Amino acid sequence: MENLIRFGGKFFDELEIAVYRSRDVSASVELNEISMASSRSGAVTVIRGIKDKRLGLAVIDSDEPERIREAIEQAAKMAKLNSPDENWVSLPEPEEYRRKVKPNYELKDVSPDALVEKLVRGIKLAREKDENLIVAGGEGGVGWEESRILNSHGIDISQEGGAAFFFLEFVGRKKGIVTPGIFDFDARRNLNLDVEGVVERAVQKVRWAYNVEKSRNEEVPVILGPWAIAGLLSYALFPAFSGERLIKGTTPLADRTGERIASEVLTIYDDPFHPLAIEPIIADGEGVPTRKNVLIEKGIFKSFVWDNYWGRIHGTGSTGNGKRDTGSGGVNIGFHSMVIEKGNRTLEDVVGEIKRGYLVDGFQGAHSSNPDNGNFAVTANPAFLIEDGEVKGASVFLIAGNIYDILKEASEVTREQTVMPFMTTMITPHVKFENVRIAGK
Amino acid sequence: MEALERALRWAEENLKVDYIELRYEDLRKTTLGLKDGVFTSFTGKLNRGIAIRVLANGAWGFSSTSDLANLEKKIEEAYKLAKAAATTKRERIELAEVKPVEDFVKSRMKVRPEETDIDEKVNHLRELERLLKEDEAVKSVQVRYEDGGGRKLLLTNEGMRIEWDYNYLYQGVYVTGKANGKLAMARDSIGAVDYGWELMTDHEPNEKVTERLLRKMHSQLKGIAPRRGEFPIVAGPIVVGIIAHEALGHLAEADLTINSPFKDLIGKRIAPEYVTMSERHVEGGFGNDRYDDEGVPVRDIRIIENGVLKGIMLNREYAHRWNMEPNGHARAESYRYPPIIRMRNTVFEPGDHSLEELIEDIKFGYYVVDFRGGQAQLNSAFQVGVQEGYVIRNGEIAEPIRDTSITGVAIEALKKISAVGNDFGLEVGFCGKGQTAFVSSGGPHMKFEGGILIG
Repeated sequence: MENLIRFGGKFFDELEIAVYRSRDVSASVELNEISMASSRSGAVTVIRGIKDKRLGLAVIDSDEPERIREAIEQAAKMAKLNSPDENWVSLPEPEEYRRKVKPNYELKDVSPDALVEKLVRGIKLAREKDENLIVAGGEGGVGWEESRILNSHGIDISQEGGAAFFFLEFVGRKKGIVTPGIFDFDARRNLNLDVEGVVERAVQKVRWAYNVEKSRNEEVPVILGPWAIAGLLSYALFPAFSGERLIKGTTPLADRTGERIASEVLTIYDDPFHPLAIEPIIADGEGVPTRKNVLIEKGIFKSFVWDNYWGRIHGTGSTGNGKRDTGSGGVNIGFHSMVIEKGNRTLEDVVGEIKRGYLVDGFQGAHSSNPDNGNFAVTANPAFLIEDGEVKGASVFLIAGNIYDILKEASEVTREQTVMPFMTTMITPHVKFENVRIAGK
Repeated sequence: MEALERALRWAEENLKVDYIELRYEDLRKTTLGLKDGVFTSFTGKLNRGIAIRVLANGAWGFSSTSDLANLEKKIEEAYKLAKAAATTKRERIELAEVKPVEDFVKSRMKVRPEETDIDEKVNHLRELERLLKEDEAVKSVQVRYEDGGGRKLLLTNEGMRIEWDYNYLYQGVYVTGKANGKLAMARDSIGAVDYGWELMTDHEPNEKVTERLLRKMHSQLKGIAPRRGEFPIVAGPIVVGIIAHEALGHLAEADLTINSPFKDLIGKRIAPEYVTMSERHVEGGFGNDRYDDEGVPVRDIRIIENGVLKGIMLNREYAHRWNMEPNGHARAESYRYPPIIRMRNTVFEPGDHSLEELIEDIKFGYYVVDFRGGQAQLNSAFQVGVQEGYVIRNGEIAEPIRDTSITGVAIEALKKISAVGNDFGLEVGFCGKGQTAFVSSGGPHMKFEGGILIG
């Protein structure tokens, strides 16, 4: 690979080669049965080269040296055609990494049989618990990735690791009621996926959903579950932490470092080394050491996050938040494992104290939120009405507002944290918010 | 092709398969990402690989790889995966019969993207940014452009041999504007598989895209928060399209129909007689094709015909299960994915009324023109963010509204359609269902007397 860096020296002032080799195995469910078992293997190499401040990128589905040479030439052609970027400073320099987390090699060559067994067990268990329920969908999978990132300044970092995930989607039909699709899931760095827990939690939600309760226009406490939290924050809040947006003036958090932007029960940080993180990487997509970056500490906004490009323009340097987009080859500011710090009491305790309120499992339309100002308008579905400390049934309602207003109303976080492997990977408890204005249906 | 034929013959002779399908792709792509004057991606891509799908013992196995050596071994892997999936299967998967096709699908583009000089592409994007930034309120512009072209092949043990001269192009633009301390964002997308670079020069020139984006952005900057609640709503073609796609179209995908309210409604009236919704070829449609990824010819379907729920989208597996004819809706994002049932171009058909007629007798209501993200549940409950909308007061379009969304249950809202416009509009985009597909959606203006909540 060093030869290829030397070869690229003919064309570029600076060059980076990132190679990703992956193997995924999965099995999926449709209508109470395994529908397909799949495997996917392959390699992707991304070339990023700079000549006279002109950027050129190339992406190929291969890790063969011959084809990487071809890609270097292709990137050189692209750089020649590009115009110079006067803001360009340089690719990252080598820095000290922390010790790698030992990967779980059990995940490298998982047989699909192991996943089929878990799914079949989940389907059987669910149908035993509730005969009116259909396992509409689901999937169990294991992904393994090996990457190597090197550049002409001497960065050369190899990483490997894998994660397993499991989810089921249930639809209940009883007495003319068809419940919305109800999901639950588990993701971790080993194969001990919590099949029983997933089924138990999802079946409970289906049971609640058989009873439909009308919602009304009111101001009430609302507990957001992990899926709802991850959806809303990924679109309405997290983009605002991007240093690029600070420079461009498109974040409402500009000039607010050190200010209170949320209630003191909320501490949010990006931490790839959290014990529950599913991808404990020590280097980001451009080889910069990753670290724990605190974004909100007890409600106070602490800092923005940066990749190499924007960090150098700003003068602070990268915070290890460069995420490679293997589609375009470019690097964008992103997060590894967003964590909301947990609290002391269980969800049950928190629900138990609510006279009238709601528990929201998921939001529809979170992706239409506006990160430029934090405004959002979402439908809570699945959502459940709580009365006198107990869940009474399913409800659907609208919440429209501003994320910074609602963050100030957070009053408690629960003790249990869940890994949400979708959208931005999040590790989050349930969060209770007071005085949420909802529009009932 | 020869290596694929050889591997297919080997599999037929050595494995006990019901069906085997090989899909090969060799595509060359260009991605340009322009963010406020800087090209953050300027990328040439070479995507080459193969998808192998095997039906054995009544179950599917799928394997995909970018490593083209040892194809026989990869086929055997897919075969083993099928056998693993089959161990628990009670009902064997069978496929509806289709006539094997041998064909070459020519591109209908006038100027293939690869024939356009990259300088011209760069200049085009820069000009678009310049035009947008002539407006002082515009603070940030982000453009993503991608085109691709090359060869796709489909071979099956039943004798399908289809080759596509496959090409596409796409442009997505995000604009952030600021005025009087308010920030607002607007988005726009264009794309085609049948138009080449002429899409950018003739059909959707920069001036037209700029005009649309600035209108959307300013409507939000000047917009007021709407009153929450249920009011008469006139929806424009793009919003009508997203309701057709998200809230109704997905329910008519056979793999989802089975868990949706549509299951018990086929053949029944679900809307007034003047409402018809189709899944069909549309001039300029992003989902157009001659065959699907199982080699089945793509046919037009009436999902709702004169108010009655009629047709659903099928692949060969579900066509057999429902005892119907497959209609060309098995689509795969790339060689990395197996084909699944997808929409193509989902549209409401035009009616008789002018926009003025739809609006004239509304004392107070809303006109929703464009959306920012939409989502629906299998019970047809939908939520659509509105990026351009206006108040209707005393029969006239009045002030704009901002940061809002509409929500409802589509099969209830359908019954509240009181008039259908005589115009037609289309928007292109991507649909995500575990994998991405190029789609279009649209229709005429439509009036809802209720059934949609704004807030």
